[in-house]
Amino acid sequence: MEEKKQCKGCWGALPFVIGFVAAVIAGWVLYPDLIYSKKTQPVNFSHKVHAEQGMVCADCHTFRDDGSYAGIPTNEKCNECHSDVVGTNPAEKVYVDKYGKTGKDVPWLIYQYQPDNVIFSHKAHESLECTSCHPDMAKNDVPPTYYQNKLSGYSKQTMRMWQCERCHAENGVSNACHVCHK
Amino acid sequence: MGLDRRGFVKFVVGGVAGTLFTPVIWKGMDDAAKWSQNWGWIPRLPKGERKAVPALSKLCKSGCAVKVQTVGGAPFAALGNPDNPMSKGGVCPICAGSVQLMYSPARVAGPLKKVGEGKYSPIKWEEAEAMLVEKLTPLKGQDGKIAAISGDETGTANEVLSALLAGLGNASGYCAMPGEMLTATRGVKLMGGAGQPGFDIEGADFVLMIGADALDSWGASVANQKAFAASHPTGEAATARFVYAGPALNNTSGVCDQFVAVPPTATGVFALALANALISVGATCSAPDFADYKALAAKCTPEVFEKATGLKAEVLKDLAGKIKAAKAPLVIPGASFGQGSGALDFVAGASLNVLLGRVGQKGGMTLLPAAPKALSAAADRAEAKDAGSFMAQVATGKAAPAALIVYEANPAYALPQAGDMTKALGNIAFKVAFATYMDETASLADLVLPAPHPYERFDDAMNPYGVAKPTYLAGKPVLAKPVVDAKDPVDVLLAAAGKLGLSLGFETYADVIKAKAKAVGADMDTLTGGAAWTGEPKGGSLSLGAAALAKAPAPKADDKAVALAPLSKLACGTTELACPPADLLTIRDTELKGKDLFVQMNAATAKKLGVAEGNKIKLTGGSGEVKALVHVNEGVAAGTVAMLMGFGHSAWDQYTKGKGDNIFKILTVSDEAGTGMKVWAGSTVTVAKI
Amino acid sequence: MSGHAFKEFKINWGMVIDLDKCTGCGACMTACQVENNIAPMVDASNKMRTLSWMLVFELSNGKPAPEAEVAYLPRPCMQCGHPACVPVCPVVATDKNEEGGIVSQIYPRCIGCRYCMAACPYHARYFNWEDPIFPKGMEKALSPDTSTRPRGVVEKCNFCHTRLMHAKDKARQDGGDPEALAEGAYIPACVEVCPTGAITFGDLKNPEHKVHQLSKSKNAFRLLEKLGLKPQVYYMSNREWVRKLGDNYAAGGKPGAEKKHS
Repeated sequence: MEEKKQCKGCWGALPFVIGFVAAVIAGWVLYPDLIYSKKTQPVNFSHKVHAEQGMVCADCHTFRDDGSYAGIPTNEKCNECHSDVVGTNPAEKVYVDKYGKTGKDVPWLIYQYQPDNVIFSHKAHESLECTSCHPDMAKNDVPPTYYQNKLSGYSKQTMRMWQCERCHAENGVSNACHVCHK
Repeated sequence: MGLDRRGFVKFVVGGVAGTLFTPVIWKGMDDAAKWSQNWGWIPRLPKGERKAVPALSKLCKSGCAVKVQTVGGAPFAALGNPDNPMSKGGVCPICAGSVQLMYSPARVAGPLKKVGEGKYSPIKWEEAEAMLVEKLTPLKGQDGKIAAISGDETGTANEVLSALLAGLGNASGYCAMPGEMLTATRGVKLMGGAGQPGFDIEGADFVLMIGADALDSWGASVANQKAFAASHPTGEAATARFVYAGPALNNTSGVCDQFVAVPPTATGVFALALANALISVGATCSAPDFADYKALAAKCTPEVFEKATGLKAEVLKDLAGKIKAAKAPLVIPGASFGQGSGALDFVAGASLNVLLGRVGQKGGMTLLPAAPKALSAAADRAEAKDAGSFMAQVATGKAAPAALIVYEANPAYALPQAGDMTKALGNIAFKVAFATYMDETASLADLVLPAPHPYERFDDAMNPYGVAKPTYLAGKPVLAKPVVDAKDPVDVLLAAAGKLGLSLGFETYADVIKAKAKAVGADMDTLTGGAAWTGEPKGGSLSLGAAALAKAPAPKADDKAVALAPLSKLACGTTELACPPADLLTIRDTELKGKDLFVQMNAATAKKLGVAEGNKIKLTGGSGEVKALVHVNEGVAAGTVAMLMGFGHSAWDQYTKGKGDNIFKILTVSDEAGTGMKVWAGSTVTVAKI
Repeated sequence: MSGHAFKEFKINWGMVIDLDKCTGCGACMTACQVENNIAPMVDASNKMRTLSWMLVFELSNGKPAPEAEVAYLPRPCMQCGHPACVPVCPVVATDKNEEGGIVSQIYPRCIGCRYCMAACPYHARYFNWEDPIFPKGMEKALSPDTSTRPRGVVEKCNFCHTRLMHAKDKARQDGGDPEALAEGAYIPACVEVCPTGAITFGDLKNPEHKVHQLSKSKNAFRLLEKLGLKPQVYYMSNREWVRKLGDNYAAGGKPGAEKKHS
């Protein structure tokens, strides 16, 4: 009698355990996949190819005279070399035909996308390595997949407020609201 | 083992518990918070490289030299251009909101053809231009059949209009909207001179503005304000005194050292009484008509002054003493709302400068030489007919044009007795309006041709009214292509001229401006880069205009009526432009409440009229009436009702349409004795409580 | 007051507004609206609903004609040294903790309780009753400097703070010290457009900046000085009646004098 009771109790917890484990697996494995939509860059840009030509980051990602940062270069910059097809890579042809010649800006997906209420100065962070915040793109041949949160619209790879704040705190930099918000 | 109900519940509970150990809820809440901070319907900010592009905004009368701020090539704000001597970094309230006006809901998006009463259908530019030529062709060579009204005081577009009319045998059809420029050039003529007067505020140490709202809506207001600022360094003693004599405390008088409340009907009397007071403290001059002038002025005794203005004669004595003591006094005559005063009021005020020996002196009144022309066939600016008189002739059938070209003007709204003007426009068979916005006149036109916004076109400004030295500004487009389907009116007119068999020597407005710059002796590229060209005023002396002043009628006493003082506030718009959306905030709730406009009067006047704060009243005058609320303001002259201009639009957009009432409806036009000019600055109205 | 200590900063960005030079033209209000992406309102005469970070008041000496006088008083946020709005915020959406002393307001954090509006004696704070809806196309002319706010949050003037950030970047680019900006390197939009230069802007603590001396001149005063909020905006006028109004006057006191608050 006692044995049976024990056994029943043991079996009785099973649905709970199954439910628990299934939820944990779903929550950790399936959910993250589910909330992001995967996007690919409009042009299959290879940083590696450019780096191999001896180019450095600042050749394209430059500061302007007013201290603002140009970020991803505009067509104008790309057209300095690619006003016409110069290589054999099919991605280049896509750029030239679809954007460079039509004057339409390339709708690059920004991995480090920040909303309008954030103001970030690259100039103030100039002493840091690019790679402390950005992925090391120099060796990258194929642009990484862009994961966009279906609900918030934010990029999965972007920095979060706590990351900014932690670094500021560790380095004795002000965490006052207006330092980063506008 | 089958799954019973109990087991299922356990499974669900397990599932929920398990979820708590995953990021689902926490991440979901976090994402939801982010989502709620970025509603999809809230507009997003533009990104890209920022630039500051020099431009000329001609939305205000004198034109502001600005630097248009762009981001990623799109303009978003207009700031001052510190390098330009006209603006010195300042911007007027209209031009500060100028970029937003590119996207005004009132903008004409493409050519429109009238297809019925108040109904328009969009057409193609080819069709529109063909229609213009087709309508003008049969009228070619018949004098009096084609007319043009220009609302632009400074642009070389006027030369093109004038030359086109002359080439079509209709030279007499060229009209300008009324303004200070027209009045003042007539006034200078009466004083034996020629040309446009200028006022060197910068060099003066005592500035008396009689009516002229020089620090807000009169003349080159930003340049005037900069001159005022230079003489009033913050934290230091002022180097010049500013006195405003006008019908109400306005923006100009807000910073003046003294305000003298002069009813709009007594402007001339005030000036002559002051002349009398000055002569009695020893002022004299070598003008040939001094004796006559002295005799005239002597008639404006302190008693006459007190009766006409309701002020004490001591004010006059005190003022005369201060002017006499000043090293470089300057008198600026003008209407409180920039138009409608007669040439005689101008002469009365300007004669004080002659009396004080201030003509052609530093800090005095100057005379500008006639600007060299780009088109030799064009008439001088001073030769333009006054649109008010012309439309009055159209109303009575004395003039019968079959076609009217309206360039950057709004005669249906901004001519006195506006109701009559609208009817008069109905007498003209074909009206074409070159308009940036769907204003009252465009809404009556048979063909509406959208004009570009100042940041989408070439334009220039020669001698904005009031400048002491010949001054020339030019601007080029900030945007390569207008945001609507607009074409430069001058380009359209030049093309039409060609099709009418007339060669004006230019194909585009840009070429015209280039030629103008060359004629002036300036470099077009330097000008469009934000610089200004300045020359020297010409010499010459003026008489006191005694002969003309002798013809001025004595002011009529009318106990039932009160004087109507139109007030102009630049932020409320101009005669050509309704209040810009970005300027609506500046209108006080003692000026406009909902759709009701306030008129202002002092407590004594209110008592006399039997009205009180907040009462709804009807003002009748001219050929119309307006309704308004009463606001008691002690800053209004005795026996005077002050009313803001710029309201009561029946066209435009949701921001201005139907708000308040239009003062032009109740302004009374009369013929000025001796000059035959139409005047309405001394209008009176009757007031009734409703 | 409560436990919020008065924070001292090395830099105090501030204004001295010469009321004898303000013509009340409204260019500052317009430029502010453009710079800060405030959508135009169809009925802007309803002053309970409008958003005017910069507001030009009309002051009257209250005398009958012809002695009547007016003065115009531009009112931005006072960026109080001892702000009344900050301690009442339940979610720390507003704070005064950045070098320069500008009181911040973070819109996504604001819950719209409006305690701060009740606390501010200068009525410098505004509540968004509506979403910022621009007429079609006008959103293309938005300024990149200020994020748009949804309905339900409070906003206020921040001395065009983004301009400060840009000025710092420019200083860094030119090899200067971003924490020691030269006079004029950073000015708000209202200061820049003002046609009479009525507003002087700079670091109140820096003797090299004009505002330092001007704020100490005998005709300088602050609004409602007796409240002890220590605004970073000063006014000045030669007219006594204007100075008296500035203190919203406690009868018998000396105009412009700081009152000890008990």
